[in-house]
Amino acid sequence: MNRAGPNRLVSLMVDNLIWLFVIGAFIAFSLLSDRFLSPYNLGNILLRSAAFGMLVLSQAYTFITGNFDLSVESSLGLTAMFAALMLVTSEAGGWGWQLHPLLVILLMLVLGGLIGLFNGVLITKVGVNNLLVTIAMLFVLRGATYGISPGTSISFFPKEFTWLGGGTLARIVTDDGNFVLSVAGIFVILAFLVGHIHTRYTQFGRNMYAVGADADAARAAGINVDRVVIIVYIIAGVCAAFAGLLQAGRLNAATPTMGANLIFAVHGAAIIGGMSIYGGRGNIIGAFGGVLLWSILDTGLNIMRVSPFWIDVSRGLLLLFAVLLDALRVRYQRNVQMRMALAASTIGLDDKEHSDG
Amino acid sequence: MAEANLKTDEILLDMRGISKTYPGVQALEDADFSVRRGEIHGLVGKNGAGKSTLMGVLMGIRDADSGSVAMDGQELVDASPQTMLDAGISYVPQHINLLNTLTVAENILVGNLPKNRFGLVDWKAVNEDSQARLSRLGLEMDVRQPVEGLSVAERTMLAIAKALFANARLIILDEPTAALSRVEIDLLFSFVRAQQEQGVAFIYISHHLEEVFEICDRVTVMRDGRIVGTREISEIDVPILIHMMVGGGVQEYERESAAGEQTVFEVRGLSRRGAYEHVDLSMNRGEVLGLSGLQGSGVDELAQALFGLDRLGVGEVLVDGEPYRPGSPKQAFESGVAYLPQDRHRFGLVQLRSVRENVTYSVLDRLVGRLGVLMRAGEQQITEEYIDKLGIVTPGTEQRTLLLSGGNQQKVVFAKLAATQPHVLILHEPTQGVDVQAKVDIFNIIDDLSAQGVAILIISSEVRELIGLCDRILVMYEGRITDEFSRAAKDMRPEDILLAIEGGRNVGDS
Repeated sequence: MNRAGPNRLVSLMVDNLIWLFVIGAFIAFSLLSDRFLSPYNLGNILLRSAAFGMLVLSQAYTFITGNFDLSVESSLGLTAMFAALMLVTSEAGGWGWQLHPLLVILLMLVLGGLIGLFNGVLITKVGVNNLLVTIAMLFVLRGATYGISPGTSISFFPKEFTWLGGGTLARIVTDDGNFVLSVAGIFVILAFLVGHIHTRYTQFGRNMYAVGADADAARAAGINVDRVVIIVYIIAGVCAAFAGLLQAGRLNAATPTMGANLIFAVHGAAIIGGMSIYGGRGNIIGAFGGVLLWSILDTGLNIMRVSPFWIDVSRGLLLLFAVLLDALRVRYQRNVQMRMALAASTIGLDDKEHSDG
Repeated sequence: MAEANLKTDEILLDMRGISKTYPGVQALEDADFSVRRGEIHGLVGKNGAGKSTLMGVLMGIRDADSGSVAMDGQELVDASPQTMLDAGISYVPQHINLLNTLTVAENILVGNLPKNRFGLVDWKAVNEDSQARLSRLGLEMDVRQPVEGLSVAERTMLAIAKALFANARLIILDEPTAALSRVEIDLLFSFVRAQQEQGVAFIYISHHLEEVFEICDRVTVMRDGRIVGTREISEIDVPILIHMMVGGGVQEYERESAAGEQTVFEVRGLSRRGAYEHVDLSMNRGEVLGLSGLQGSGVDELAQALFGLDRLGVGEVLVDGEPYRPGSPKQAFESGVAYLPQDRHRFGLVQLRSVRENVTYSVLDRLVGRLGVLMRAGEQQITEEYIDKLGIVTPGTEQRTLLLSGGNQQKVVFAKLAATQPHVLILHEPTQGVDVQAKVDIFNIIDDLSAQGVAILIISSEVRELIGLCDRILVMYEGRITDEFSRAAKDMRPEDILLAIEGGRNVGDS
């Protein structure tokens, strides 16, 4: 048991490494640029990454159960486009239905949930590989988004709709500029908080971890593994729909390319936040740290007027680092197990000498 | 004697007249097996003796053709895994199935975590509750650490504890000490004894006979699907037990030696930490050498390393007098060493491809003509030659190997190896999972190859087969070669060899 002590400490550190990075990046950019710490910028960090954050939350859910869903970026695009078409007049490029914003929001959440249900059922009940299913859906949903779009972007949404993604709760005026408390920023924080409570403090959330840790053992413990995975995919779909609504609201526009190519950045942020695609590890709070780190890096480099190409390079490097970190973490844990297996083996070690004493 | 005691002691489990037939194999024949309340009951027998089938029936995962299972005199009808669990029968496998990334506490209470009045998980109660439960069993461990931080013995004890929390009264321990050090074995045994004193019964399955003597009250021996007998442990010793396991039957197969004078394969002082130590062995042209040892004795590791599937470690290996250090199977093939893997499904065959492709995979280099184009006619010829030579029963060269019987699959693997024209052939459990006819065919192939001068190393736990096939047999125990038996010295007796495999070389002498 003494042996486990230091391991546990290292594990704890490895699992929470993200917050050291977040603080480090924050301090680094504050020192490198005097505009980074401005009230305007601080308010902006969360607002700009709200949609991204919801996608990370969706993947955090699937990751816990040892799954993933590549199609969420396309769900974001589809729900944004669908919502736009139902909201605006035909002159503005929509279908001219001009449905009530609240109804549209509700319909989009249902659509996201249905996409998740479809993915989940195909993966659990039909037994199709999750990579193949969600890649297929990635194409299907993106293609459908282009198909229904008028070919241009759609804008001029009603205020009630843009409030969620672009609204402001409070504005604090200072000499250096305004600090804006955005609805979207608060929403994404609340979403992660709910996600944390759900995964950490409910039986369902713990069942998710059990499924991710070892699906067979979870089944043996009486957990309905298929049901857990399907519900998780539904939650992921709803999160993706929220992401679409937030994004369309913030930009006051919907384009068919919205969300495209985001998924790997999303996975990168989740992994650097301590989640593992192998399941059963990490937590939602850590994933939120991943979102923060990602957007601090983005905003910071933007402010420093780094060329977009080099920002891409830095994103890529961060992603590489995240994947490396995950591999190292798995290797470290495997090493711990290996050392124990070795210590337990009767060959080549000094254990036998102790048995006399 | 055993019967006399049975009358006085309360019987917990009573299995009567259990029979089970698989196509072509009588796995269990009229087996009677009973366990007393609060008893640790050893179950021993060689691989294939019927232990796992019997336990499968007890766990409700195998349907017996006939016979009855009763707990506390109550017959269990409709034997499903759930029925058996409900009756208090629990199984702890060799590879413990726990939620490794989660804490000990959560593993204990998984699926039923204590909640506070808001319906949220009460982590304080989770930890305290699980700690209290473990304490009641006399098990002290930090319940907040993840299971992956536990030692193997601790995981085994945790698995036993979980079974007890689910009201198990009879726990099947399957090779629980396979990965344990002596210290850990002591820890596990004292825990098991403590539970025994509370009236819990255990079935203890192990190849390590000394441990059976150490912890069991009684032992039942199985052989060829039959119960040979049940004895009080105090009434027997290791040689008697081995004699019961081996039986007195005659060897099924014996071949003429084709060993020559010239040494083709030599291993000198080979050591790899945690696997094997100071291994010396040599084989002459045409010699058939057997190597046997328990799981964890190093034989499996040695076999894989010799074929470049794992690190060799320090020491020297010579093939035809040339230094041999394969970095990969390809290099091994090129040096004239071929290997029949233990798990042919994983390593030996590309199941979805044809017989022809499988046979010629390793020799494609030789079949490439000008312009780098494969010569299909050459492939065809080689394949047909080996189908003929080895008597592979297949509709044609294009049949997918997946559709062949186990024995014929094994022959395809042999064909693939023989096609490389090796000087040294390493066979890892060559008869595992094949029927009797295919076994005889394989023995004949081994005979043929050795007559052609191939030196053959057979790694097998089937001692009786080794005796029939081999010129010499080496025994490995705890990473070292501890014993040698040879046809020349006329000392290849199954009892002695089994005893050596169990590591009890001196038990018989003392």
